[in-house]
Amino acid sequence: MLRLSLLGLAVVILALVPLSGDAVIIQYGIDALLAATVAQAWNILGGYTGYASFGNSAFYGLGTYGTAIAMVKLALPFWVGLALGAALALACAVVIGLPILRLRGHFFAIATLGLSATLAAVIANLDIAGRNIGLILPLTRNDTLFYEEALALLVAATATVAWIAHSRFGMGLVAIREDEDAAQVMGVNTTLYKVVALMLSAFFTAIAGGIHAYWITFVDPAGAFDLTINVRMVIMAMFGGPGTVLGPVIGSIILSALYQILASSISTAAALLFGLVIVLAIIFMPRGLIDLAEGLRRVGWRYFLQNIQMHRL
Amino acid sequence: MSVAAETPLFETRGVTRRFHGLVALGDVSFALRQGEIFGLIGPNGAGKTTLVNVISGTLLPNEGALFFEGTRIDRLPPQRRAHLGIGRTFQVMKPFPRLSVLENVTVGALFGFAGGERNRAMAREQAREVLEFTGLLHRMDQHADQLGGPDRKRLELAKALAMKPKLLLLDEVMAGLTHTEIDEVVAIIKKIRASGVTILVIEHVMRAIRSLSDRVFVLHHGERIAEGPPDAVLADPRVIEAYLGKRRQ
Amino acid sequence: MSETLLAVSGLSAGYGAAPVLFGLDLAVSAGEIVALVGSNGAGKTTLLRAVSRVIAARGSIRFAGRDLLPLSPEEVFTLGLVQVPEGRQLFQRMSVEENLQMGAFRRRDPAGIARSFERVYQLFPILADRRRQMAGSLSGGEQQICALARALMAEPKLLMVDEMSLGLAPVIVDQLLDVLSDIRRSGVTVLIVEQDVFAAFSIADRAYVMETGHIVREGPVKELESDPELRRAYLGMA
Repeated sequence: MLRLSLLGLAVVILALVPLSGDAVIIQYGIDALLAATVAQAWNILGGYTGYASFGNSAFYGLGTYGTAIAMVKLALPFWVGLALGAALALACAVVIGLPILRLRGHFFAIATLGLSATLAAVIANLDIAGRNIGLILPLTRNDTLFYEEALALLVAATATVAWIAHSRFGMGLVAIREDEDAAQVMGVNTTLYKVVALMLSAFFTAIAGGIHAYWITFVDPAGAFDLTINVRMVIMAMFGGPGTVLGPVIGSIILSALYQILASSISTAAALLFGLVIVLAIIFMPRGLIDLAEGLRRVGWRYFLQNIQMHRL
Repeated sequence: MSVAAETPLFETRGVTRRFHGLVALGDVSFALRQGEIFGLIGPNGAGKTTLVNVISGTLLPNEGALFFEGTRIDRLPPQRRAHLGIGRTFQVMKPFPRLSVLENVTVGALFGFAGGERNRAMAREQAREVLEFTGLLHRMDQHADQLGGPDRKRLELAKALAMKPKLLLLDEVMAGLTHTEIDEVVAIIKKIRASGVTILVIEHVMRAIRSLSDRVFVLHHGERIAEGPPDAVLADPRVIEAYLGKRRQ
Repeated sequence: MSETLLAVSGLSAGYGAAPVLFGLDLAVSAGEIVALVGSNGAGKTTLLRAVSRVIAARGSIRFAGRDLLPLSPEEVFTLGLVQVPEGRQLFQRMSVEENLQMGAFRRRDPAGIARSFERVYQLFPILADRRRQMAGSLSGGEQQICALARALMAEPKLLMVDEMSLGLAPVIVDQLLDVLSDIRRSGVTVLIVEQDVFAAFSIADRAYVMETGHIVREGPVKELESDPELRRAYLGMA
């Protein structure tokens, strides 16, 4: 109960940030909140189910373009646009998911890699999507509104992950991750569960893409289906703690802040230093921050020793 | 007792399974009566684990049919067979490594017979009972990958039991155990049968096979070479030849 | 009397918390074929892995006068103790020739390696025919021959063959047994671990019978062949 109250307090505090009036902070906040959301969405498939997806940027792109096409070409309101983007992403998840989820491990990751590029190419050839030139959405100068929407989305995504973590469905996902064959003979409908996990992941990613599109008022295939979005969400989720409820959120907030700080103070070496942080993280806390915190609590500094031994560094 | 023969709990009819032209199972047929313990033996490579894979649904047969409680099941996916009441252990044990012992067994309770227990808390309770039954309660919070050999075997058994199976397939659960541990496991298996479960036991530890099985079925190169009461089967010259090989001149 | 090549004394080993071998004594003399038989789970493969130093062990292991216990598997290999593992473990996507080259990986004498190739192709003409074929596409029996040949490329003093007959038809097994006899005739000592007892007995001089981590019988094959203990070790009753 205490944790729930603390979390509620944190959400309230975050919601009040725009009151500061600092435009830079609010913009950074929108970016960070959306990054946290897609990391959390990735967490459902990558963290809990054990299927590391490099195709989530495809859903992001579909959400982006669904919203953009609805608003620009069909003159529909923002909410309908979001719904359209989400619908496209869910449809894609079901159609692609069934064949692609038969693959495991590295093969799955590589297969999903091609997804974003393929969709980007398709979009670039559609007139309704503005081809390579892209689309320009109507302008709404209200960063605070976007901020609160992003926050609400993150809360919804996190609440979903929290539900997964305590539900029978979630236990099935984790069983799939730990040993899919054993899970199957124990009665878990692995195909169904994997597709549902993919759909949940797609849904939140698409909505984040839609909000982002409306916020920056411009979409084009390269930006919407940018693979670095996927790389970022994987790093953030893994840094914070895959398979945990708060790990991806904490991980992305810390990494976003770190990158901003590095970029503004040592801008030339920012990327290099950021990369160094990631490498050190992989060596010393390969299972993320949450695991690090628990590990330190359990066995103290020996936690690092155990990790080094396990990876024979 | 009715005059008509009661439907066997489980039946295989003419099951054949090939791998790239190699016949792993050739025309295997037998029926299991409810409540019996059925021993399945044969030298390495005989096809015993392949047979268990076919029964549990991990593999599909090339020919033949499987029946469970009169219903044909050979085209059903593994999770459906689990829901009908078929549970199995793996010879190369497959625990959920980073989950605790309790969580491992809870999965079985959550997804087992008839789709399992929907409520996670109740499933955990059932898992606790199974852990007590198999002597693992004191390890319930340990990570599965930290368990030693004999405890891993118990965990494998506990996971299957938590599914409330009607038919339990045990694949070499005694391998690597000491004499005392073997006796303990034999006692547990007898208790399980007493609770109404039908059991198919694959073993190389013949002591256990003799003390457990009502009937023994011998596979060699994928085919049945003997079937009957344990003492008769183990003295059968064909079985001896299967294990020791043919005398050469 | 030929020298003792391998002398194992009081060997205990296991995996993690589970002990598998309980103080075993075993010896192999140069030029012999010694069989190690016993039912599944008796610990035969564990014994080989302990001797090859792939797993931790306690006790004494001496090979060609050297103490093996503190050595790494690569060092044991370089001393001339080579294991052909259960399941063959060929490099499936490499050709036969490449697999053989891998067998000579730790050698630095090109002339000697070329001679080894010649010798191996002479012993096994079928490999010469298929030298460019991918190992994974060979039949089971051919793969086993390739695995034996690969081990020979290391010019071993003692060859330890683990469960060569697994998954192979009896007629192929017979061919492989002849191959092992040829190998022994060419000067390599052989320790063969086998489930198929009489197959092993058909070429071995002496044998050890294992049961749940202990050696329950040992002696010349002629004597063991009709020993009821053999049946008891496998089938639980004499």
